[in-house]
Amino acid sequence: MADFDAIVVGSGMSGGMSAKELTERGLKVLVLERGPEIIPQRDYVDQLAPWETPNFDSVPQDEIEKHYPKQYGGVAYAIKESNKNFWVKDDEHPYEEAEGTSYDWLRGYHTAGRSIMWSRQTYRLSDLDFEANKKDGYGVDWPIRYADLVPWYEKVETFAGISGSAEGLPQLPDSVFQPAFELTDAEKELKSKVETTFPERNIIPARVAHITQVTDEQRSLGRTNCQARNRCHFGCTFKAYFSSLNATLPAAERTGNLTMVHNAIVQSVEYDAESNRVTGVRVVDAETNEKKLYTARIIFLNASAIASAMILLQSKSQAYPTGLANRSDQVGRNLLDHVSGAGAAGLMSGFDNMKVFGRRPSGGIYIPRYANLNGQDKPYLRGFGFQGGSTPIGDSGGQIAGIGREYKEAHKKPGPWRISIGAFGEQLPNPDNRVTLHASKRDRWGNPLALFNVRYSDNEHTMLQEASKDAVAMLEAAGCTNITASPVSLTKPGNRIHEMGSARMGRDPATSVLNGWCQAHEIPNLFITDGSFMTSSACQNPSLTYLAFSARAAHYAADLLADGVI
Amino acid sequence: MATRREVLQGLIVSMGGAAALTACGGIANVVATSPGAAGRFYTAAEMSFLSSISDMIIPRTETPGAVDVNVPGYMDALMTDWANDETRNSHRQALSRIENELDRLVGGRFVETEESRATSVLSELDAAVFDGSKDLDGYRSVKGYISRSYFATEGGAVEELKWVSVPGRWDPSVDISDTL
Repeated sequence: MADFDAIVVGSGMSGGMSAKELTERGLKVLVLERGPEIIPQRDYVDQLAPWETPNFDSVPQDEIEKHYPKQYGGVAYAIKESNKNFWVKDDEHPYEEAEGTSYDWLRGYHTAGRSIMWSRQTYRLSDLDFEANKKDGYGVDWPIRYADLVPWYEKVETFAGISGSAEGLPQLPDSVFQPAFELTDAEKELKSKVETTFPERNIIPARVAHITQVTDEQRSLGRTNCQARNRCHFGCTFKAYFSSLNATLPAAERTGNLTMVHNAIVQSVEYDAESNRVTGVRVVDAETNEKKLYTARIIFLNASAIASAMILLQSKSQAYPTGLANRSDQVGRNLLDHVSGAGAAGLMSGFDNMKVFGRRPSGGIYIPRYANLNGQDKPYLRGFGFQGGSTPIGDSGGQIAGIGREYKEAHKKPGPWRISIGAFGEQLPNPDNRVTLHASKRDRWGNPLALFNVRYSDNEHTMLQEASKDAVAMLEAAGCTNITASPVSLTKPGNRIHEMGSARMGRDPATSVLNGWCQAHEIPNLFITDGSFMTSSACQNPSLTYLAFSARAAHYAADLLADGVI
Repeated sequence: MATRREVLQGLIVSMGGAAALTACGGIANVVATSPGAAGRFYTAAEMSFLSSISDMIIPRTETPGAVDVNVPGYMDALMTDWANDETRNSHRQALSRIENELDRLVGGRFVETEESRATSVLSELDAAVFDGSKDLDGYRSVKGYISRSYFATEGGAVEELKWVSVPGRWDPSVDISDTL
């Protein structure tokens, strides 16, 4: 008799959804979280006013160098003194990079994982994405198509609350939307000029996981509308943005079927060769080093694309000497992220009498992919989207000429508006881009360190060069002045924090780890619904797709359990 | 309306001083400062100079000025508790370069120069740095610290910028023609 019906490893974006759906189906679920508990009323720091935190809320420079060189180097915009505990200390959680490569592994270990700190951009994939590998031959074919996922997108969007505008774009299907954060006048001008000059391009309000028209279901979980504070990286007392802690975990908890254990670092998944089933999970307590075995009838790995792959690689047995469910040798390979590092900024005049009220969370505009939509017409494969926004430059402190009364007043005058856009490009799947277990180095709990070996291909370099030119051309078309585009410099792999692909789904067990249900080809009661399953990265921010696949897989697994198949 | 001299000489017991103490009340590491006394990082002379230029860059108007809200104290804490040695050194050198340049421009001690002349000399220097005709390494940085510190205080954020803790809504298009 197993301890639980299901174990979900990880409480972040996908783990929260897995737990919600499984518990709502009546399964007794254990969620294992490797970090400590976050209690919103105690640990969210979103209510602090600027003057209630010293030193601009900046982490002391010596402390950054000692504890956060990677994390801060990767996401300085999100790590502040008051919320630094949401991010791991690099010296406590080290990793290795293959010679000549560099990788940003940016993360937080605690309840809800990175769903607390994410930037909430939320886009569906389309058939353009699901068919990409098949068309150009990079990676393997996705085993499902967009239509398979539509009901699940709808289900999770309705639950989460996505603000956005219906646009009817085939390459970026509409979600179930709550009202969008309306564009500023400068952004509307940009939209009008760009869409006239480049008819195949669109500028739309960013689609973000923020409640703007709260539903009864959301209210019942203590959630309400976004208050336009832009304090999201500090938690949200209003629970207005979607995170596991704000939404899915409370939903799972109220079923009475959820057990949550913190500080539980998974070391391996137990496998029984006779029944060909996984049977449990071995953990070590992060604080006490106590080791424990939890058993369950099904196991969902939601530890992140990197950690889930590492757990499989650590779970060696006679049947699986190179790691659990790894007869295809694809576990840890095809590690994907999105690539940025090209964009442009410029000034737009004509709106000197306009300001905004409120602080819009998570950017403002999105330019959906326009490259290679109808056949191959660019010097690179696939494509990219742009994220961006606008702000009156009068709001920027300290870099305006003048002193005295006029200088003070200048900060309140809008003046010209600054518009900036930055590309998010698709990375091609490549089996040589991988995470493996370091041969000798271990962390303080005895687990092997991650060893990253990821490089961009010529396609990503070419794409970003073209994106830079496109960005400048669009700002020129909009009549911007003082246009600047930094030399293209690709973000480090991992830096966009969209880790994907390390246990890809596919049609053939010989070349993929999971089937179209996020179920291991080789072991029917093992599921992985974090970014690991992503067969290709597309160029859209992927969290929404993890949520949809998680919900779909959870129901599939619950059906199989109910039918006695697993 | 207090003059600059009144502000600089009597700031702790003045209305501004009270505002300063209130403004920094939530932050234990910001100590009340006065131009004649050393801080934790700044020497007494540096504190005097910094107070002087802070007051000229962001004077008291209908809203508090930089000295009213204890910008020098904020920056003293910043340099003590946030900055590393490299930042501290470069900041100290920048202050020194700016003071030397201002001394040179007034042909004597800038901090002892009559208020209107001192303000006019700083104003010309600021204009020259920002239009690119003069290269004074560190001036923009120091001005940035002063300004960011000011707007990080309750006086600067709420009274000057009308910062609202919970806007409650997003309005992308507010016409403020009437106020310009």
